[in-house]
Amino acid sequence: MQAATAMIGGEGDVRVRRGVLAGKALPYLLVLPVLVLEAVLILYPIVRGALFSLEGPAGGLDLDNYRFMLADPDFWRMLGHTLVYTLTVVVAILVVALGVALLMNWSFRGRGLVRSILTVPWAIPDVPVAITFVLMLDPTFGVFNRLAGLLPFIGEDRQWLLDPTLAMAAVIIVTVWKGFPFYALVLLAALQNVPDELYDAARVDGAGPLAQFRHVTLPGVRDTIALLAVLAFIFSTQQFTLIWLITGGGPVDATTTLAPAIYLQAFRFYNFGYAGAIAVIGFLVSALSTVAFVVVQRRIASEP
Amino acid sequence: MSVAAPSARRRRRIAPVEILRVAAIVIVCAVVFFPVYWMLLSAIQPTEYSLSYPPPLVPKGFNWAAYAQLFADKPIGRWLVTSIFVALLVVAATLLLVIPAAYALSRLHWTGRSAFGLMLLFTQMMPAAVVVAPVLALYRAFGWTDNLVALALLHTAFVVPLCVWVLKSSFDAIPKEIVEAALIDGCNRLSVLPRIFLPLAKPGLVAVSVIAFFASWNEYLFASTLIVRNELYTASLGIATLMTQLDTPLFVLMAAGVVFSVMPVLFYMAIQRHVLRGLTAGSVKG
Repeated sequence: MQAATAMIGGEGDVRVRRGVLAGKALPYLLVLPVLVLEAVLILYPIVRGALFSLEGPAGGLDLDNYRFMLADPDFWRMLGHTLVYTLTVVVAILVVALGVALLMNWSFRGRGLVRSILTVPWAIPDVPVAITFVLMLDPTFGVFNRLAGLLPFIGEDRQWLLDPTLAMAAVIIVTVWKGFPFYALVLLAALQNVPDELYDAARVDGAGPLAQFRHVTLPGVRDTIALLAVLAFIFSTQQFTLIWLITGGGPVDATTTLAPAIYLQAFRFYNFGYAGAIAVIGFLVSALSTVAFVVVQRRIASEP
Repeated sequence: MSVAAPSARRRRRIAPVEILRVAAIVIVCAVVFFPVYWMLLSAIQPTEYSLSYPPPLVPKGFNWAAYAQLFADKPIGRWLVTSIFVALLVVAATLLLVIPAAYALSRLHWTGRSAFGLMLLFTQMMPAAVVVAPVLALYRAFGWTDNLVALALLHTAFVVPLCVWVLKSSFDAIPKEIVEAALIDGCNRLSVLPRIFLPLAKPGLVAVSVIAFFASWNEYLFASTLIVRNELYTASLGIATLMTQLDTPLFVLMAAGVVFSVMPVLFYMAIQRHVLRGLTAGSVKG
């Protein structure tokens, strides 16, 4: 083993003065394989996709695909569906997750069991989840209609996946079901980190349960909620498999969001140029999400 | 990690509020678990019961012989083996790539470190759908379609960014005093990695392996675009295809789904705490 003269870095980092491995190249050699893999299989395809979108029919570069996209009413409808789906999923996931986390922020017997049950939806792969919900939503045999029939104000035999509004509701319900337990467990961990002393102090000051929630609980988990909002946004804009296998983006285009739209253009209509143009929108959305994530993360890191 | 909730210390008689709370928790669990129950139910009872109206809420009958026969008719076993093969390749490749990268990100000073971190975050956020068409074009040019190793490589590319963060947060938690002592004892910047970091970061390595394995296990979009030959189908792709075949009895489809879900559910239950910490990239305190 090369005996290098070791010097200890200030922040627990390792620095070396001399020796074979002291070269400045070491960190770059360590990350090179990851860099190459990401560059070839993710970054290059992003650029290639953008180039597809700029290819004119004669081979030159032009903006025809974008002109077509912006003039295409289907594109704007797709953006609308994406907005409805994404925002509803984000808000519903956060509200349900916060509610469940508050319910569980209390020591009770069986909490381990509840945690395990909450792990199941996000552990089950998308494909079986889609199959199960397609069965449950079936208008003829589905248990959704049977349960809905028990409620006085809802009629029976709803055509869940054939009605545009209900189909959107259905994919949102499935996405929230699969997504919220993870967020609830993260929020629970955050709630448990709010110091008890703050609650005690608030109680001494005469704060009731609601005031405690507003002035102690919410500020304590605000940053976690912000971070989870970004993650939920990404989770829902990336969503392909659940939507694709449950509705195929239909009926007609009622549940076609960004990811299924790119897929449909590329592999149903073989229009790589137009698919590339929509993919550029998807790229911009995820670039913005990255920025939002970093901003929230920095804010959390900078706090005491 | 496990911190006692505020009310733990103030043990009282059971208050009505707590009864309501328990009731609410039971309802939440029921809602969360109901689809899982439905999946199990339709997997064990013969199809004619699942496809009758109103559907029975408790299992009616169980036909083991028909079960075994139909399971043998569909190549479900082969799909599962294929998925295990691809997922194990992904785990191996991921560990190989992620260990040095996480170390460089966690403990070494270098220009471009934060740019590299940002690149990882950016690729992690990228929806697979954005790159699926160009990737197909690239794979066709390489002659890599219908190639399970090439599919594993793609799965690796998509799971590596997250795994670097998970392992980095695991490395970050190793006290600097231990590393300093090892350096004084004659380790160098590279040999502390296998001698100190890997043994101490075992939970992180397990979490990374589980995340990588099941990211590949669950993946559908790339498998469905890059794999065309039936005999190379992964379980995810095979079961999704069963769904569209009208001759597949429902309980076979559901049973295939259950078999496919058992492993990820058990593993994630075992390591949920580590995964939770890792998935939020160490940015949620605690």
